[in-house]
Amino acid sequence: MSVAELTLRQRLWTRESRLAYLLLLPAAVVVVGFMVYPLVYVVLMSLFKTNRLGWLTTFAGLRNFVNVMTDPGFWTVAGRSLLWTAIGVFSKTVLGMLIALLLNIPYPGRKTARMLFIAPWASSVPISVLLWSWVYNPQFGLLNYTLKLLGWAHPPVWVGTPIPAFIACMWVDVWIGVPFMALVFLSGMQSISEDLYESAYMDGVNAFQKFFYITLPGIRNIILIATLLSALWTFNDFNAIYILTLGGPVDSTDILITSIYKNAFAYLRFDKAAVMAVVTFVILSFISIVYARFYFKEEQTA
Amino acid sequence: MSGIRRGRLLSVLLVLAGLLVIPGILFANGTTEKAAAPQKATFFWAVYDGVTEDYRASLQDAFNKVDPNVQIQIIPVGWDQLHDKLTTSLAGGQPPDISVIGTRWLLEFMDLKQLADPTQYVSKATLDDIIPGTKEAMINGKLWGLPVAAGARFLAINNSITNKVPKTMEELEQDAIAVNDPPNHWGLFMPGKKHTELTDFAYYFYAAGGDFFAKNADGSFGKSTVNSAAGVQALTFMNKLANQDKVVEDGYMGLTRIQGHPLFYAGKIGYVMIGAWVDSALKQAGATFPVTYAQIPGFAGHPSTPLIITDSIAFFSGGKALGAAGKFIDFWYKPEWKGKFDQLAGFPPVTASAGKLPAFDTPMYKTMGVAAQNAKGWPLIATWDECQNAIWDAVTKVFLGQATPKAALDEAAAKIDKINGM
Repeated sequence: MSVAELTLRQRLWTRESRLAYLLLLPAAVVVVGFMVYPLVYVVLMSLFKTNRLGWLTTFAGLRNFVNVMTDPGFWTVAGRSLLWTAIGVFSKTVLGMLIALLLNIPYPGRKTARMLFIAPWASSVPISVLLWSWVYNPQFGLLNYTLKLLGWAHPPVWVGTPIPAFIACMWVDVWIGVPFMALVFLSGMQSISEDLYESAYMDGVNAFQKFFYITLPGIRNIILIATLLSALWTFNDFNAIYILTLGGPVDSTDILITSIYKNAFAYLRFDKAAVMAVVTFVILSFISIVYARFYFKEEQTA
Repeated sequence: MSGIRRGRLLSVLLVLAGLLVIPGILFANGTTEKAAAPQKATFFWAVYDGVTEDYRASLQDAFNKVDPNVQIQIIPVGWDQLHDKLTTSLAGGQPPDISVIGTRWLLEFMDLKQLADPTQYVSKATLDDIIPGTKEAMINGKLWGLPVAAGARFLAINNSITNKVPKTMEELEQDAIAVNDPPNHWGLFMPGKKHTELTDFAYYFYAAGGDFFAKNADGSFGKSTVNSAAGVQALTFMNKLANQDKVVEDGYMGLTRIQGHPLFYAGKIGYVMIGAWVDSALKQAGATFPVTYAQIPGFAGHPSTPLIITDSIAFFSGGKALGAAGKFIDFWYKPEWKGKFDQLAGFPPVTASAGKLPAFDTPMYKTMGVAAQNAKGWPLIATWDECQNAIWDAVTKVFLGQATPKAALDEAAAKIDKINGM
């Protein structure tokens, strides 16, 4: 009997497949328990009124969504989340690329430099952010102390006023995220054949042309994947903002993820938080799908 | 052939299942020789300034040595995280047996039907030792939380900078201006960065005779009155101190209370409105300058009305070892342990037996005793955290020059009424 003649049941229920199902079962249970169930429950919460412990009380339909969508504060936070993500990803990509280029040049001590650049990424994120909160301290902090030494008599109160607070949080997010980008770009650069650079050199190509015509096209797919991951992580970066400013002053550094947390666990408005979480999920899924389509289209073209 | 294999597989699975299930059944029926597992209670321990980690660890060790079958795990949690952690634990169905809480949270947890009756688990001797006036958690004649700390706030004065004791807020302003000498030292401490409590606004608000809510005829809270004349006077005054007189520390907008108080301990602030932990915190910081304690003054024409903070210990109905938790409280509330805690935290004792200790016969505790006579606490309202957040935002907007005190407080009052469904 050929494979084509087998029924669906026969094809899916062979001796080997049964063993495979058995081995997959624990992983499936974990995925359902820790990913699918919470996701479904959050969607349910967004459609129900909840009590202050997050338990479902009465069915609300889309009323929770209407309440959130008609709140101007929500759109401010959503817009800031997109701005935060765009600036963060752009900065990390540019800085990561520069660092990767520097780390790709052979020079004595390059290995040490590579290890040092990984440190911010390898450290515990909350601890790193706490260290930065000391750096930003207006009285004891290293940053303002240095700025005063350099002649700036009244440097900004970094985490106490709206625009400096946003910049301060952004910088910490970038500082933590750059090493990953640099490492990924570096690994991509090392996979480009040296022959290309040598022949370009023979043709009298300058450094910028090498970068734009050899390096950049050579790591194009890596850039796509890295920026997608970075966009997802940056959009959901809770630590930098919550530890440094709690989303303040006057919510001026709140992004969706910190606002979700505050609504859920500080104000115990789980239904509102669930709506915002669903919206976040939709936005991130949309970004991922657009990226994936673009990536696979490129791959097919190549 | 495949039938035999299937049979073998089934046998192996049955044996494995048996190995897993049988010991469980034996333990459940108590037929094993092994002793029953000890009762282990968990306790969310709020981290008070002045109370050292050594004290927490030694208390836990001492109790756990008394009876190996009754154990406690004391989990330290920062004040700023405690409410979130408790809520998360309750929502997840894994509450601690007991926790320190701000007494104002009681109503919230009562609403959620999460509280257990502490008098069922704590001995009568311990309950009788608690000073009746400290039982703020007595609601409708029933005690829902044991007082753990209760203390009115007061004014601490660094005598190496000034000896003047202001009688009114207006005098305080003039004294702060007179001694202000940045960057060597500043006249007055004020935190401008949001933190877990609205303490500083409350000091000035109560000093102006304000109340956060109107009271209904039945005693319940009505609409917000934070935008009353008292509120506007308080916030205008705070803003004047910070942005016109400039007598508060540089960078006050970037400092919470916890981050900023070390400036006082370091001798760089003249006046600070603070709690009783100041005494032990000064000692721990190695401060050598003399300090006097006085009442937080009222505005001209108003009596001194300081804020009083009470914290309680709540028992949670979802706890798994409430009996062990009750025994721990009996152990901890003995004067040798609770008295030491009160000294470290700097709070006046809540038990009669600890009150007899000579350590509490000091000028600071005497000042607190006077302060308590006309002090006001936080409003006991379930949505207080969200309400105080709205007021914090109003205060910050005024400090940042984004709104006038009146406009900011009107907006806050409207938000609070909406939060409370009014």
